[in-house]
Amino acid sequence: MAAPVIQADNLGIDFFRNRRRKMSLREMIYTGGTSHNKETFKALDQVSFTVQPGEAVGLIGGNGSGKSTLLKMIAGVLLPDHGSVRVRGGVAPLIELTGGFIGELSARENVYLTSGLHGLTKEQVDERFESIIDFAGPQVRAALDTPFRHFSSGMQVRLGFAVITTLDEPIVLVDEVLAVGDRAFREKCYTRMESMLSGGKTLFLVSHSESDLRRFAKRGLYLQQGRLVGDGDIEDVLEQYNADADAGT
Amino acid sequence: MILVRQMRGLLAKRRILATLVRRDLRVRYGGSPIGYLWTIIDPLAMAAIYFVVFTLIFKARSVGYQPYVLFLIVGLLAWQWFSGSLTETSRALLAESRLIRSTNLPRELWVVRVVIAKMIEFILSMPVLAGFTIFYLIKGDAHLNARLLLVPVGLFLQFVLLTGIGLILAPITTLVTDTARVVRIVLRMGFYSTPIIYGVHAAPASLREVLLFNPMTGILELYRAGFFPHDLNYKSVVLSAVISFGILVIGTLVFERLESSVLKEI
Repeated sequence: MAAPVIQADNLGIDFFRNRRRKMSLREMIYTGGTSHNKETFKALDQVSFTVQPGEAVGLIGGNGSGKSTLLKMIAGVLLPDHGSVRVRGGVAPLIELTGGFIGELSARENVYLTSGLHGLTKEQVDERFESIIDFAGPQVRAALDTPFRHFSSGMQVRLGFAVITTLDEPIVLVDEVLAVGDRAFREKCYTRMESMLSGGKTLFLVSHSESDLRRFAKRGLYLQQGRLVGDGDIEDVLEQYNADADAGT
Repeated sequence: MILVRQMRGLLAKRRILATLVRRDLRVRYGGSPIGYLWTIIDPLAMAAIYFVVFTLIFKARSVGYQPYVLFLIVGLLAWQWFSGSLTETSRALLAESRLIRSTNLPRELWVVRVVIAKMIEFILSMPVLAGFTIFYLIKGDAHLNARLLLVPVGLFLQFVLLTGIGLILAPITTLVTDTARVVRIVLRMGFYSTPIIYGVHAAPASLREVLLFNPMTGILELYRAGFFPHDLNYKSVVLSAVISFGILVIGTLVFERLESSVLKEI
Protein backbone atom coordinates (compact mmCIF):
# COMPACT_ATOMS: atom_id res chain seq x y z
CA MET A 1 0.00 0.00 0.00
CA ALA A 2 1.31 3.43 -0.93
CA ALA A 3 1.79 6.18 1.61
CA PRO A 4 -1.46 7.96 2.45
CA VAL A 5 -2.09 11.30 0.73
CA ILE A 6 -4.21 12.61 3.57
CA GLN A 7 -3.50 11.70 7.14
CA ALA A 8 -5.54 13.22 9.96
CA ASP A 9 -4.50 12.53 13.55
CA ASN A 10 -6.78 13.50 16.39
CA LEU A 11 -7.78 16.54 14.42
CA GLY A 12 -9.70 19.15 16.40
CA ILE A 13 -10.68 22.79 16.13
CA ASP A 14 -12.56 25.08 18.50
CA PHE A 15 -14.79 27.92 17.45
CA PHE A 16 -16.29 30.69 19.51
CA ARG A 17 -19.98 30.27 19.92
CA ASN A 18 -20.81 33.61 18.37
CA ARG A 19 -18.90 33.61 15.19
CA ARG A 20 -17.32 37.03 15.30
CA ARG A 21 -15.17 38.07 18.20
CA LYS A 22 -16.34 41.65 18.14
CA MET A 23 -13.43 42.90 20.14
CA SER A 24 -12.97 46.61 20.11
CA LEU A 25 -10.30 48.76 21.70
CA ARG A 26 -12.86 51.30 22.86
CA GLU A 27 -14.65 48.62 24.78
CA MET A 28 -11.43 47.22 26.23
CA ILE A 29 -10.44 50.61 27.52
CA TYR A 30 -13.84 51.59 28.94
CA THR A 31 -14.90 48.33 30.50
CA GLY A 32 -11.52 46.71 30.98
CA GLY A 33 -12.61 43.67 29.06
CA THR A 34 -14.61 42.61 26.09
CA SER A 35 -18.16 41.42 25.84
CA HIS A 36 -17.23 38.72 23.44
CA ASN A 37 -18.45 35.34 24.47
CA LYS A 38 -15.50 33.13 25.25
CA GLU A 39 -17.55 29.97 25.22
CA THR A 40 -16.26 27.62 22.56
CA PHE A 41 -17.51 24.50 20.89
CA LYS A 42 -15.59 21.83 19.08
CA ALA A 43 -16.38 21.98 15.40
CA LEU A 44 -14.16 18.93 14.99
CA ASP A 45 -13.09 16.64 17.77
CA GLN A 46 -10.51 13.85 17.62
CA VAL A 47 -10.99 13.05 13.98
CA SER A 48 -8.49 10.51 12.66
CA PHE A 49 -8.40 8.83 9.27
CA THR A 50 -6.11 8.24 6.32
CA VAL A 51 -6.82 8.45 2.64
CA GLN A 52 -4.81 6.50 0.04
CA PRO A 53 -3.97 7.92 -3.37
CA GLY A 54 -6.76 7.45 -5.88
CA GLU A 55 -9.44 6.93 -3.26
CA ALA A 56 -12.84 8.57 -3.64
CA VAL A 57 -14.22 9.57 -0.28
CA GLY A 58 -17.66 10.98 0.44
CA LEU A 59 -18.15 13.06 3.56
CA ILE A 60 -21.57 12.62 5.09
CA GLY A 61 -23.27 14.38 7.97
CA GLY A 62 -26.06 16.73 8.95
CA ASN A 63 -25.84 20.51 8.87
CA GLY A 64 -23.17 21.83 11.20
CA SER A 65 -21.49 18.49 11.67
CA GLY A 66 -18.12 19.86 10.59
CA LYS A 67 -17.93 18.68 6.98
CA SER A 68 -16.92 21.99 5.47
CA THR A 69 -14.58 22.71 8.35
CA LEU A 70 -12.81 19.41 7.73
CA LEU A 71 -12.53 20.17 4.03
CA LYS A 72 -11.06 23.60 4.75
CA MET A 73 -8.48 22.08 7.06
CA ILE A 74 -7.44 19.60 4.41
CA ALA A 75 -7.20 22.50 1.97
CA GLY A 76 -4.98 24.29 4.49
CA VAL A 77 -7.15 27.40 4.79
CA LEU A 78 -7.98 26.64 8.43
CA LEU A 79 -5.37 25.55 10.96
CA PRO A 80 -6.10 22.88 13.58
CA ASP A 81 -6.12 23.71 17.29
CA HIS A 82 -5.44 20.07 18.21
CA GLY A 83 -3.85 17.20 16.37
CA SER A 84 -2.65 17.49 12.81
CA VAL A 85 -3.56 16.86 9.23
CA ARG A 86 -0.85 16.01 6.73
CA VAL A 87 -1.51 16.34 3.06
CA ARG A 88 0.99 15.09 0.50
CA GLY A 89 0.74 16.86 -2.80
CA GLY A 90 -1.28 19.88 -3.81
CA VAL A 91 -4.98 20.36 -3.37
CA ALA A 92 -7.46 21.69 -5.93
CA PRO A 93 -10.19 23.12 -3.73
CA LEU A 94 -13.62 23.33 -5.34
CA ILE A 95 -14.77 25.11 -2.21
CA GLU A 96 -15.20 28.78 -2.84
CA LEU A 97 -15.02 28.47 -6.57
CA THR A 98 -15.01 32.14 -7.38
CA GLY A 99 -12.95 33.12 -4.33
CA GLY A 100 -9.89 34.04 -6.35
CA PHE A 101 -11.77 36.06 -8.94
CA ILE A 102 -11.73 39.84 -8.94
CA GLY A 103 -14.92 41.55 -10.09
CA GLU A 104 -13.18 44.46 -11.79
CA LEU A 105 -10.83 42.42 -13.94
CA SER A 106 -11.94 40.72 -17.13
CA ALA A 107 -12.64 37.00 -17.29
CA ARG A 108 -9.44 36.49 -19.27
CA GLU A 109 -7.30 38.25 -16.67
CA ASN A 110 -9.06 36.34 -13.92
CA VAL A 111 -8.28 32.98 -15.48
CA TYR A 112 -4.59 33.86 -15.54
CA LEU A 113 -4.66 35.30 -12.05
CA THR A 114 -6.47 32.42 -10.38
CA SER A 115 -4.45 29.73 -12.11
CA GLY A 116 -1.34 31.73 -11.22
CA LEU A 117 -2.39 31.73 -7.58
CA HIS A 118 -2.65 27.97 -7.75
CA GLY A 119 0.84 27.71 -9.15
CA LEU A 120 0.47 27.49 -12.93
CA THR A 121 2.92 29.45 -15.06
CA LYS A 122 1.72 31.79 -17.77
CA GLU A 123 2.78 29.31 -20.44
CA GLN A 124 0.82 26.52 -18.79
CA VAL A 125 -2.28 28.71 -18.70
CA ASP A 126 -1.78 29.68 -22.35
CA GLU A 127 -1.82 26.00 -23.19
CA ARG A 128 -5.00 25.30 -21.26
CA PHE A 129 -6.84 28.53 -21.88
CA GLU A 130 -8.89 27.23 -24.80
CA SER A 131 -10.01 24.12 -23.01
CA ILE A 132 -10.94 26.12 -19.91
CA ILE A 133 -13.13 28.46 -21.92
CA ASP A 134 -14.57 25.56 -23.93
CA PHE A 135 -15.64 23.94 -20.73
CA ALA A 136 -17.11 27.13 -19.28
CA GLY A 137 -19.34 27.42 -22.33
CA PRO A 138 -20.12 29.77 -25.20
CA GLN A 139 -21.70 32.46 -22.98
CA VAL A 140 -18.41 32.84 -21.14
CA ARG A 141 -16.45 32.85 -24.38
CA ALA A 142 -18.57 35.69 -25.71
CA ALA A 143 -17.88 37.75 -22.60
CA LEU A 144 -14.17 37.04 -22.18
CA ASP A 145 -13.15 40.67 -21.98
CA THR A 146 -15.98 42.05 -19.88
CA PRO A 147 -15.48 42.53 -16.16
CA PHE A 148 -16.13 39.39 -14.17
CA ARG A 149 -18.77 41.04 -11.98
CA HIS A 150 -21.07 41.41 -14.99
CA PHE A 151 -21.23 37.62 -15.28
CA SER A 152 -24.34 35.80 -14.11
CA SER A 153 -23.70 33.70 -11.04
CA GLY A 154 -24.01 30.55 -13.15
CA MET A 155 -21.34 31.78 -15.55
CA GLN A 156 -19.08 32.73 -12.65
CA VAL A 157 -19.31 29.28 -11.11
CA ARG A 158 -18.79 27.61 -14.48
CA LEU A 159 -15.61 29.53 -15.10
CA GLY A 160 -14.46 28.82 -11.56
CA PHE A 161 -15.08 25.11 -11.93
CA ALA A 162 -13.33 25.06 -15.30
CA VAL A 163 -10.22 26.74 -13.91
CA ILE A 164 -9.87 24.73 -10.72
CA THR A 165 -10.44 21.39 -12.43
CA THR A 166 -7.67 22.05 -14.95
CA LEU A 167 -5.09 22.34 -12.19
CA ASP A 168 -2.69 19.43 -11.91
CA GLU A 169 -3.19 18.94 -8.19
CA PRO A 170 -3.49 15.27 -7.20
CA ILE A 171 -6.19 15.88 -4.57
CA VAL A 172 -9.58 17.36 -5.42
CA LEU A 173 -11.88 18.68 -2.72
CA VAL A 174 -15.50 19.25 -3.68
CA ASP A 175 -17.96 21.06 -1.42
CA GLU A 176 -21.54 21.00 -2.64
CA VAL A 177 -20.61 22.87 -5.80
CA LEU A 178 -22.43 20.36 -7.93
CA ALA A 179 -25.72 21.83 -6.79
CA VAL A 180 -25.17 24.88 -8.96
CA GLY A 181 -25.31 25.30 -12.68
CA ASP A 182 -28.00 24.05 -15.00
CA ARG A 183 -28.65 20.43 -15.82
CA ALA A 184 -26.46 20.33 -18.89
CA PHE A 185 -23.52 21.88 -17.07
CA ARG A 186 -23.96 19.55 -14.13
CA GLU A 187 -23.63 16.58 -16.46
CA LYS A 188 -20.43 18.12 -17.83
CA CYS A 189 -19.10 18.50 -14.29
CA TYR A 190 -19.90 14.88 -13.53
CA THR A 191 -18.06 13.73 -16.62
CA ARG A 192 -15.08 15.90 -15.77
CA MET A 193 -14.98 14.55 -12.22
CA GLU A 194 -15.22 10.97 -13.44
CA SER A 195 -12.34 11.51 -15.82
CA MET A 196 -10.31 13.07 -13.00
CA LEU A 197 -11.05 10.04 -10.83
CA SER A 198 -10.08 7.58 -13.51
CA GLY A 199 -6.94 9.64 -14.02
CA GLY A 200 -5.88 8.56 -10.54
CA LYS A 201 -6.75 11.68 -8.58
CA THR A 202 -7.91 11.51 -5.00
CA LEU A 203 -11.41 12.86 -4.51
CA PHE A 204 -12.93 14.21 -1.33
CA LEU A 205 -16.57 15.03 -1.76
CA VAL A 206 -19.09 16.73 0.51
CA SER A 207 -22.68 16.37 -0.55
CA HIS A 208 -26.18 15.91 0.70
CA SER A 209 -27.16 14.17 -2.48
CA GLU A 210 -27.09 10.42 -2.05
CA SER A 211 -26.98 9.82 -5.77
CA ASP A 212 -23.90 12.03 -6.13
CA LEU A 213 -22.24 10.26 -3.25
CA ARG A 214 -23.03 6.82 -4.65
CA ARG A 215 -21.88 7.85 -8.09
CA PHE A 216 -18.46 9.13 -7.08
CA ALA A 217 -17.49 7.84 -3.68
CA LYS A 218 -16.52 4.31 -2.75
CA ARG A 219 -15.81 5.08 0.85
CA GLY A 220 -17.85 7.15 3.27
CA LEU A 221 -16.83 9.18 6.30
CA TYR A 222 -19.69 10.08 8.61
CA LEU A 223 -19.36 13.11 10.87
CA GLN A 224 -21.73 13.79 13.71
CA GLN A 225 -21.25 16.97 15.74
CA GLY A 226 -17.59 17.10 14.90
CA ARG A 227 -16.86 13.48 15.66
CA LEU A 228 -16.12 10.77 13.17
CA VAL A 229 -18.77 8.12 13.84
CA GLY A 230 -18.59 6.08 10.66
CA ASP A 231 -15.90 5.10 8.19
CA GLY A 232 -16.44 2.39 5.63
CA ASP A 233 -18.09 1.43 2.40
CA ILE A 234 -20.27 4.27 1.13
CA GLU A 235 -23.42 2.11 1.11
CA ASP A 236 -22.97 1.07 4.73
CA VAL A 237 -22.22 4.58 5.90
CA LEU A 238 -25.22 6.01 4.04
CA GLU A 239 -27.37 3.36 5.65
CA GLN A 240 -26.00 4.30 9.07
CA TYR A 241 -26.61 7.99 8.38
CA ASN A 242 -30.16 7.41 7.21
CA ALA A 243 -30.91 5.23 10.21
CA ASP A 244 -29.64 7.98 12.52
CA ALA A 245 -31.57 10.64 10.67
CA ASP A 246 -34.77 8.65 10.85
CA ALA A 247 -34.23 7.96 14.54
CA GLY A 248 -33.88 11.72 15.00
CA THR A 249 -30.38 11.92 16.42
CA MET B 1 15.34 30.30 13.14
CA ILE B 2 11.92 31.76 12.88
CA LEU B 3 12.47 34.18 10.00
CA VAL B 4 14.10 31.55 7.82
CA ARG B 5 11.00 29.36 7.58
CA GLN B 6 8.79 32.28 6.56
CA MET B 7 11.37 33.46 4.05
CA ARG B 8 11.55 30.02 2.48
CA GLY B 9 7.78 29.82 2.25
CA LEU B 10 7.63 33.16 0.49
CA LEU B 11 10.52 32.41 -1.83
CA ALA B 12 8.83 29.21 -2.93
CA LYS B 13 5.81 31.28 -3.92
CA ARG B 14 7.67 34.20 -5.41
CA ARG B 15 6.01 33.81 -8.77
CA ILE B 16 2.58 34.13 -7.17
CA LEU B 17 3.85 37.10 -5.21
CA ALA B 18 4.93 38.72 -8.47
CA THR B 19 1.52 38.01 -10.01
CA LEU B 20 -0.24 39.69 -7.10
CA VAL B 21 2.04 42.72 -7.14
CA ARG B 22 1.53 43.12 -10.87
CA ARG B 23 -2.21 42.94 -10.35
CA ASP B 24 -2.02 45.61 -7.65
CA LEU B 25 -0.08 47.91 -9.90
CA ARG B 26 -2.41 47.28 -12.82
CA VAL B 27 -5.43 48.14 -10.69
CA ARG B 28 -3.61 51.17 -9.32
CA TYR B 29 -2.41 52.60 -12.60
CA GLY B 30 -5.20 51.19 -14.72
CA GLY B 31 -2.99 51.53 -17.78
CA SER B 32 -3.43 55.30 -17.81
CA PRO B 33 -1.07 58.16 -17.02
CA ILE B 34 -3.71 59.62 -14.66
CA GLY B 35 -3.04 56.73 -12.29
CA TYR B 36 0.62 57.65 -12.17
CA LEU B 37 -0.26 61.28 -11.59
CA TRP B 38 -2.14 60.35 -8.42
CA THR B 39 0.97 58.76 -6.94
CA ILE B 40 3.03 61.89 -7.28
CA ILE B 41 0.42 64.61 -6.96
CA ASP B 42 -0.14 64.13 -3.26
CA PRO B 43 3.50 64.46 -2.17
CA LEU B 44 3.98 67.34 -4.60
CA ALA B 45 1.00 69.24 -3.20
CA MET B 46 2.21 68.62 0.34
CA ALA B 47 5.71 69.77 -0.59
CA ALA B 48 4.25 73.00 -2.00
CA ILE B 49 2.24 73.61 1.18
CA TYR B 50 5.14 73.04 3.55
CA PHE B 51 7.45 75.06 1.38
CA VAL B 52 5.10 78.05 1.53
CA VAL B 53 4.39 77.69 5.24
CA PHE B 54 7.94 77.20 6.41
CA THR B 55 10.01 79.33 4.09
CA LEU B 56 7.59 82.14 3.26
CA ILE B 57 5.46 82.43 6.39
CA PHE B 58 7.61 81.18 9.29
CA LYS B 59 10.81 82.18 7.51
CA ALA B 60 12.35 79.16 9.22
CA ARG B 61 14.96 78.47 6.58
CA SER B 62 17.06 76.33 8.85
CA VAL B 63 14.49 73.58 9.63
CA GLY B 64 15.72 71.42 6.77
CA TYR B 65 18.71 71.20 4.52
CA GLN B 66 18.96 73.41 1.47
CA PRO B 67 17.34 73.31 -1.04
CA TYR B 68 14.36 72.79 1.21
CA VAL B 69 12.00 71.60 -1.54
CA LEU B 70 14.35 68.74 -2.34
CA PHE B 71 14.61 67.95 1.36
CA LEU B 72 10.81 67.88 1.63
CA ILE B 73 10.23 65.74 -1.43
CA VAL B 74 12.61 63.00 -0.31
CA GLY B 75 10.85 62.85 3.04
CA LEU B 76 7.32 63.07 1.69
CA LEU B 77 7.77 60.41 -0.97
CA ALA B 78 9.23 57.99 1.56
CA TRP B 79 6.47 58.82 4.00
CA GLN B 80 3.87 58.14 1.36
CA TRP B 81 5.24 54.62 1.05
CA PHE B 82 5.23 54.32 4.83
CA SER B 83 1.69 55.53 5.44
CA GLY B 84 0.16 53.85 2.39
CA SER B 85 1.78 50.62 3.39
CA LEU B 86 0.56 50.82 6.99
CA THR B 87 -2.99 51.65 5.99
CA GLU B 88 -3.17 48.86 3.46
CA THR B 89 -1.28 46.15 5.31
CA SER B 90 -3.55 46.65 8.30
CA ARG B 91 -6.47 45.76 6.02
CA ALA B 92 -4.53 43.21 3.98
CA LEU B 93 -6.11 40.08 5.43
CA LEU B 94 -9.63 41.49 5.61
CA ALA B 95 -9.57 42.90 2.10
CA GLU B 96 -8.47 39.61 0.56
CA SER B 97 -10.51 37.34 2.79
CA ARG B 98 -12.11 35.57 -0.16
CA LEU B 99 -8.76 34.76 -1.68
CA ILE B 100 -7.32 33.71 1.65
CA ARG B 101 -10.25 31.38 2.23
CA SER B 102 -9.79 29.69 -1.10
CA THR B 103 -6.03 29.38 -1.58
CA ASN B 104 -3.46 27.77 0.65
CA LEU B 105 -0.59 30.22 0.38
CA PRO B 106 1.71 31.34 3.17
CA ARG B 107 -0.45 34.01 4.79
CA GLU B 108 2.52 36.38 5.22
CA LEU B 109 2.38 36.79 1.47
CA TRP B 110 -0.69 39.03 1.69
CA VAL B 111 1.23 41.51 3.81
CA VAL B 112 4.53 41.39 1.93
CA ARG B 113 2.74 41.84 -1.36
CA VAL B 114 1.27 45.19 -0.25
CA VAL B 115 4.65 46.42 0.99
CA ILE B 116 6.30 45.48 -2.31
CA ALA B 117 3.58 47.11 -4.42
CA LYS B 118 3.93 50.32 -2.41
CA MET B 119 7.70 50.13 -2.70
CA ILE B 120 7.44 49.95 -6.47
CA GLU B 121 5.15 52.98 -6.41
CA PHE B 122 7.82 54.76 -4.38
CA ILE B 123 10.52 53.80 -6.85
CA LEU B 124 8.31 54.86 -9.74
CA SER B 125 7.93 58.27 -8.14
CA MET B 126 11.70 58.74 -8.09
CA PRO B 127 11.74 60.53 -11.49
CA VAL B 128 10.03 63.45 -9.75
CA LEU B 129 12.91 63.58 -7.33
CA ALA B 130 15.36 63.34 -10.22
CA GLY B 131 13.56 66.21 -11.95
CA PHE B 132 13.91 68.50 -8.95
CA THR B 133 17.51 67.45 -8.45
CA ILE B 134 18.40 68.34 -12.03
CA PHE B 135 16.63 71.68 -11.65
CA TYR B 136 18.61 72.53 -8.53
CA LEU B 137 21.84 71.19 -10.03
CA ILE B 138 21.43 73.58 -12.94
CA LYS B 139 20.66 76.40 -10.50
CA GLY B 140 23.82 75.37 -8.67
CA ASP B 141 22.11 74.74 -5.31
CA ALA B 142 22.26 70.97 -5.16
CA HIS B 143 25.26 68.81 -4.32
CA LEU B 144 25.01 65.20 -5.33
CA ASN B 145 27.58 62.89 -3.82
CA ALA B 146 28.59 59.24 -3.74
CA ARG B 147 26.38 58.58 -0.73
CA LEU B 148 23.52 58.22 -3.23
CA LEU B 149 24.53 54.56 -3.06
CA LEU B 150 22.91 54.47 0.38
CA VAL B 151 19.43 54.85 -1.15
CA PRO B 152 19.05 51.07 -1.76
CA VAL B 153 20.11 50.43 1.84
CA GLY B 154 17.34 52.76 2.95
CA LEU B 155 14.86 50.98 0.69
CA PHE B 156 15.83 47.66 2.18
CA LEU B 157 15.54 48.87 5.78
CA GLN B 158 12.18 50.50 5.15
CA PHE B 159 10.96 47.30 3.51
CA VAL B 160 12.00 45.30 6.58
CA LEU B 161 10.35 47.81 8.90
CA LEU B 162 7.08 47.99 6.96
CA THR B 163 6.85 44.22 6.65
CA GLY B 164 7.32 43.91 10.40
CA ILE B 165 4.66 46.50 11.21
CA GLY B 166 2.32 44.99 8.64
CA LEU B 167 2.68 41.51 10.14
CA ILE B 168 1.65 42.96 13.50
CA LEU B 169 -1.22 45.09 12.22
CA ALA B 170 -2.86 42.76 9.72
CA PRO B 171 -3.97 40.05 12.18
CA ILE B 172 -4.82 42.54 14.91
CA THR B 173 -7.11 44.52 12.61
CA THR B 174 -8.93 41.31 11.79
CA LEU B 175 -9.53 40.51 15.45
CA VAL B 176 -10.01 43.98 16.92
CA THR B 177 -12.48 45.94 14.87
CA ASP B 178 -11.41 49.52 15.52
CA THR B 179 -7.68 49.15 14.88
CA ALA B 180 -7.99 51.04 11.60
CA ARG B 181 -9.00 54.23 13.42
CA VAL B 182 -6.06 53.95 15.77
CA VAL B 183 -3.71 53.42 12.84
CA ARG B 184 -4.99 56.62 11.27
CA ILE B 185 -4.33 58.68 14.40
CA VAL B 186 -0.92 57.12 14.98
CA LEU B 187 0.04 57.85 11.38
CA ARG B 188 -0.85 61.51 11.79
CA MET B 189 1.26 61.71 14.93
CA GLY B 190 4.01 59.72 13.27
CA PHE B 191 4.19 62.23 10.44
CA TYR B 192 5.15 65.01 12.82
CA SER B 193 7.43 62.90 14.98
CA THR B 194 9.46 61.88 11.92
CA PRO B 195 12.02 64.28 10.45
CA ILE B 196 10.11 64.81 7.19
CA ILE B 197 9.43 68.53 7.20
CA TYR B 198 12.32 69.30 9.53
CA GLY B 199 15.74 67.82 10.12
CA VAL B 200 16.89 66.24 13.38
CA HIS B 201 19.34 69.14 13.76
CA ALA B 202 16.42 71.59 14.01
CA ALA B 203 14.92 69.85 17.05
CA PRO B 204 15.91 70.92 20.56
CA ALA B 205 18.72 68.82 22.00
CA SER B 206 16.39 67.04 24.42
CA LEU B 207 14.19 65.77 21.59
CA ARG B 208 17.02 64.84 19.27
CA GLU B 209 17.85 61.69 21.19
CA VAL B 210 14.19 60.68 21.21
CA LEU B 211 13.87 61.17 17.46
CA LEU B 212 16.71 58.74 16.90
CA PHE B 213 14.52 55.96 18.24
CA ASN B 214 12.08 56.52 15.42
CA PRO B 215 13.30 53.97 12.87
CA MET B 216 12.23 56.24 10.01
CA THR B 217 14.77 58.85 11.15
CA GLY B 218 17.71 56.72 10.12
CA ILE B 219 16.01 55.56 6.94
CA LEU B 220 15.36 59.15 5.82
CA GLU B 221 18.96 59.92 6.73
CA LEU B 222 20.07 57.24 4.25
CA TYR B 223 17.84 58.58 1.49
CA ARG B 224 19.00 62.15 1.99
CA ALA B 225 22.70 61.51 2.43
CA GLY B 226 23.43 61.60 -1.29
CA PHE B 227 21.58 64.85 -1.90
CA PHE B 228 22.96 66.97 0.91
CA PRO B 229 26.52 67.53 2.12
CA HIS B 230 25.75 67.22 5.85
CA ASP B 231 27.48 64.65 8.07
CA LEU B 232 25.76 61.30 8.14
CA ASN B 233 24.17 60.56 11.51
CA TYR B 234 25.52 57.03 11.94
CA LYS B 235 23.83 56.52 15.27
CA SER B 236 20.39 57.02 13.77
CA VAL B 237 21.16 54.60 10.94
CA VAL B 238 22.37 51.86 13.25
CA LEU B 239 19.44 52.34 15.62
CA SER B 240 16.97 52.23 12.79
CA ALA B 241 18.48 49.01 11.42
CA VAL B 242 18.31 47.38 14.84
CA ILE B 243 14.75 48.54 15.50
CA SER B 244 13.53 47.59 12.01
CA PHE B 245 14.83 44.06 12.32
CA GLY B 246 13.51 43.85 15.87
CA ILE B 247 10.05 44.81 14.65
CA LEU B 248 10.27 42.26 11.85
CA VAL B 249 11.01 39.50 14.35
CA ILE B 250 8.19 40.63 16.65
CA GLY B 251 5.85 40.88 13.67
CA THR B 252 6.68 37.35 12.54
CA LEU B 253 6.01 36.03 16.04
CA VAL B 254 2.73 37.93 16.41
CA PHE B 255 1.57 36.80 13.00
CA GLU B 256 2.38 33.17 13.71
CA ARG B 257 0.63 33.34 17.06
CA LEU B 258 -2.58 34.89 15.69
CA GLU B 259 -2.75 33.14 12.33
CA SER B 260 -5.15 30.36 13.26
CA SER B 261 -7.56 32.75 15.05
CA VAL B 262 -7.52 35.04 12.05
CA LEU B 263 -8.38 32.20 9.69
CA LYS B 264 -11.41 31.37 11.81
CA GLU B 265 -12.63 34.96 11.72
CA ILE B 266 -12.35 35.86 8.07
